[in-house]
Amino acid sequence: MFALLALAGCASSIPQTERVLADAHAYPKPVELATVPFYPQEAYQCGPAALAMLLQVAGVDISPEQLVPQVYLPSREGSLQIEMLAAARRQGRVPYVLSPHLETLLTEVASGHPVLVLQNLGLSWYPKWHYAVVVGFNLPQGELILRSGLEARHVVPLATFERTWARGRHWAVVILPPGRLPQTAEETPYLAAVVPLERLKHWREASQSYEAALKRWPKSLAAMLGLGNSHYAQGEKCEALWAFRRAAREHPGSAAAHNNMAHVMAELGDLHNAEKAALRAVELEGDKQPIYRQTLDDIRRQLAESAPGKTPRVSCPEPAGIRRKSVAHRRADIR
Amino acid sequence: MQSFRRLAKPVSYALITGVLALSLHGPAARAAMVSTDQIVGAQQSQQDRSKVVALLTREDVKTALSSRGVSTADVQARVDAMTDQEVHALATKLDQMPAGGDALGVLVLVFIILLITDAMGITDIFPFVKKPARR
Repeated sequence: MFALLALAGCASSIPQTERVLADAHAYPKPVELATVPFYPQEAYQCGPAALAMLLQVAGVDISPEQLVPQVYLPSREGSLQIEMLAAARRQGRVPYVLSPHLETLLTEVASGHPVLVLQNLGLSWYPKWHYAVVVGFNLPQGELILRSGLEARHVVPLATFERTWARGRHWAVVILPPGRLPQTAEETPYLAAVVPLERLKHWREASQSYEAALKRWPKSLAAMLGLGNSHYAQGEKCEALWAFRRAAREHPGSAAAHNNMAHVMAELGDLHNAEKAALRAVELEGDKQPIYRQTLDDIRRQLAESAPGKTPRVSCPEPAGIRRKSVAHRRADIR
Repeated sequence: MQSFRRLAKPVSYALITGVLALSLHGPAARAAMVSTDQIVGAQQSQQDRSKVVALLTREDVKTALSSRGVSTADVQARVDAMTDQEVHALATKLDQMPAGGDALGVLVLVFIILLITDAMGITDIFPFVKKPARR
């Protein structure tokens, strides 16, 4: 059914191309990312080849051959989209799936970001799935430039590209160095793309990505908590504390922010403030989430066990610029 | 799938133990830090149950990839790099998903078809085909 629909659709409409060409003055000059490397594909291996090109640009020195065991699915003689994304994560990079618009794709290329695309070069009832990398375009000529298959510089009319790309459901991905955001990234999808790095313990790259996200979306609660969690996982407790503090200050209604802050405070020996924060989390959502109650009990037990005045306490003076209100800066010391 | 169902019960006990071990990964080292995943996913109450389901599904996908020619040495790491949603998607419709592969073998077919569509003015590939004015 989908095949029939797509066949009906492919013959006629190229709405995105028409829209982009009507607005061609937005890019009067051709754009081409000449420095994107080219790997000609081996048989059935356009996936590893295209992925290697993007990863090289993202600062990962990896060859298509090394990617074959990570993405290639022998019985299908090809590579699945999900595995292409997963393989990028394995190198500590955030694969970001773009919104399905030609304009988005052009914006990324114009920002210096090559774009991985899935095309169906055949027809819907005779699909030939293919990965290529968009590296440039020339709107006055109505053309797109791809690294594709055996061609380092495959120039294709925008209209044709749109048809082949639409048959791949407009799938487009950018993969960038850690801490660099796609030009067209949106907050929630971007953070959802970073989170899976945590699962693979790419904490450094995750924290760099959350930090970049916070620069663009300074109010993002998920980015603050992600930053705190990824610092914490790296044993950077002061940095984690700052992130959770900022989250609790700017989102006072977030029980998670208070809960995680309480944990770090307790581990740094600041049990009194930890108790306050844990209590706040319980007040906010204790009835819904037993874990907040657990945190509070845990901290109270530690309070009861610790001899007063003898608790080792590490203080974390916040670096200038983290908070506006001036605070009494304490020196990092162990009493 | 059928044999998987039969095995599911005994295997799930072992897996639940595994989940508990796995859930120690990341910031949840102590009683209960809230993970970023939970915040972005924002469905904490269902986390534990769905974790067990996800783990069972992961085993399913591993089997699926192995039976499609991925070496056992590679399967584990490949599935590990997927999110729960991705694993679920693969488990349910792997064979309907497009697998980008070889464009080369089809060039003759595409050539003929595009030759025709070019002449019809639907595509614009070959400069030697007289095309209707467009744009």
